[in-house]
Amino acid sequence: MSERTKIDARGTYCPGPLMELIATLKLINIGDEIEILSSDKGSAKDIPEWVNKVHHEMVGITQQDGYSSIVVRKAK
Amino acid sequence: MVSTPLFILLSSGEHEKLQIAAMIASIAAVSDRPVQVFVSMNAILAFAKDTPADKRYQGGAFSRLLKEKNVPNALMLFQQGRELGDLKMWACSMALDIQGWEMEHLVGGLFDGALGLTKFLSDAENGQFITL
Repeated sequence: MSERTKIDARGTYCPGPLMELIATLKLINIGDEIEILSSDKGSAKDIPEWVNKVHHEMVGITQQDGYSSIVVRKAK
Repeated sequence: MVSTPLFILLSSGEHEKLQIAAMIASIAAVSDRPVQVFVSMNAILAFAKDTPADKRYQGGAFSRLLKEKNVPNALMLFQQGRELGDLKMWACSMALDIQGWEMEHLVGGLFDGALGLTKFLSDAENGQFITL
């Protein structure tokens, strides 16, 4: 069963959430997931963009009240 | 698809330009684009080692906003770009010489060394070149 790490990056601004995601990805195993919470709208677009560019997996994005929850799976 | 290397020539000391240079450099570097940054003119002054943060970052209206809000600062972004991606930073030899500075005068852990424009321009022929 894969592990899921949660990062609360709400209240921080681009590119903070992206950098936190990347630093955390380095620490987890392939197949594990990260859920990152971000209130920054730019990051909600940029994070999926980055995930697709570098060939990790987008698991999903959901909109919550004032923030996004973005789930990424480490693919490599 | 191999990404085009990015070469940034940073000469402005304005906070806003330092910030956007750091954002571009760090995001490109973590997005599998090799990046090299050449720091000269007023920009090198922002990298002096013992400068307090409010003096290091001086700019206009947006500079004030950047300082107020929880935005990662430029030096930290350059550092993250180096740790998480392929980012090299060079101090302009001329800018150091003209002030009598050695590399030790600059913030530690950020620069790969001093370089001249001849080498930087030559390397940049293989990539995309921007100036800030």
